[in-house]
Amino acid sequence: MEGRPEDDSELFARAQRGEAAAYEEIVRRYQQLAFRTAYMITGSAAEAEDAAQDGFMKAYSALDGFRSGAPPRPWLLRIVANEARNRVRSTQRRLGLELRLAEGFRPGDAAPSPEAASVAAEDRDRLLRFVNALGEDDRLVITSRYFLELSGEETAAALGIPEGTVKSRLARALARLRAKLEEATRG
Amino acid sequence: MAELEQQLTTLGAGLDWPPTPDLAGRIHLPASRGGGAQRRWGGASSIYVERRWTLAAVAVLIALAALAAYPPSRDAIANWLNVHTTIQRVPHLATPSPQPPGPLGERLGLGGRTTLAGARKQVAWPIALPSSLGQPDEVYLQLPPDGPLQGEVTLVYSSRPDIPISGETGVALLVTEARGAVDTNFFGKMLGPGTTLEDVAVAGHQGYWIAGAPNVFFFTDVNGDVRNETMRLATNTLILDEGGTVVRIEGNLTKAQALQVAASLG
Repeated sequence: MEGRPEDDSELFARAQRGEAAAYEEIVRRYQQLAFRTAYMITGSAAEAEDAAQDGFMKAYSALDGFRSGAPPRPWLLRIVANEARNRVRSTQRRLGLELRLAEGFRPGDAAPSPEAASVAAEDRDRLLRFVNALGEDDRLVITSRYFLELSGEETAAALGIPEGTVKSRLARALARLRAKLEEATRG
Repeated sequence: MAELEQQLTTLGAGLDWPPTPDLAGRIHLPASRGGGAQRRWGGASSIYVERRWTLAAVAVLIALAALAAYPPSRDAIANWLNVHTTIQRVPHLATPSPQPPGPLGERLGLGGRTTLAGARKQVAWPIALPSSLGQPDEVYLQLPPDGPLQGEVTLVYSSRPDIPISGETGVALLVTEARGAVDTNFFGKMLGPGTTLEDVAVAGHQGYWIAGAPNVFFFTDVNGDVRNETMRLATNTLILDEGGTVVRIEGNLTKAQALQVAASLG
């Protein structure tokens, strides 16, 4: 089909055959996801940039180990996230990630569900404040699943934990967040 | 989807992430993967352009040039930095500086101290010894998870004739060995400004002479995973693929000295 974006498996197959242009397209396709995942882990844009860049280089070098037909996103995310964690370990500091809402953001623009649109600006700010205040494990799993919209498998790869742990960790994180919100509403 | 989860998804769409850098535009790959056709890096054949490091290096050079200038400039710089100390020009390098406290292995991240016999018991591969240097003064072993699969052995030579001590380490030479293979894809990343790479051959083995001060080293371990390690001495370095073992010889030694050490490995 003319003009149809090439699917991931075709791109990876070409990259595995040594076509540099195919791998450059993979980087283009996934650089935002890789960078944001690394940013979530390092809390630093500069570290995230280096981690994502090094991650892509390592993935390129390890392409032979990529199983044909396997989903590429978890594979790439695992490599980039490992790189990000290594950087956090080597610098022995972890910056607290504090996510902010984009200026002028209106939910109706991005996700026009009536339920979402009804969330008042003040409530959104408060929700984000509570997410930012969660413990690291809770914050990472919520950021992965809802802010980066990773699947369970991708979240597991990004966080370096089994998929089953993602589910239980997410359930606990949501319960804690819900409790905080209810407490704030009551107070 | 429950209400809270819906709210979180909506919130995610409106987050102010830092701008994504153009990584695709910055990573230049060789036309084909693998093979030894493109081993030279730099300029158009570079796989990796580290713009930030280049800019940082330029900034450091400018700052150093300013510091080396006249006393009024040095005082002015001290004032800008709110550092109320006198910056003095050192006419020649001190030899060697006092060593910082702590065991050598810890300071250089070499792992646990052991003996040659102890290391040989713990790794399943033959440790190559450069006979031209005699017995190492200290031996360190780094095992997983901090070290690569099958471990990494570092031989420390504190002083040897005609080889200066490196910086504040009190060490003249380090010979580091691990099972794996050199990954030429990463040479672009290893080579900073003023660092050059040259292919060499030692007793039939492929080698790479890096002159300058490389800070990082990449290789592929036996599992096929790429590892990056900090160069401990940041000095001239000879890297060898020695029959499945990657040998790294670091020190303030000349290429001829390094090749002589490498040729005596056995």
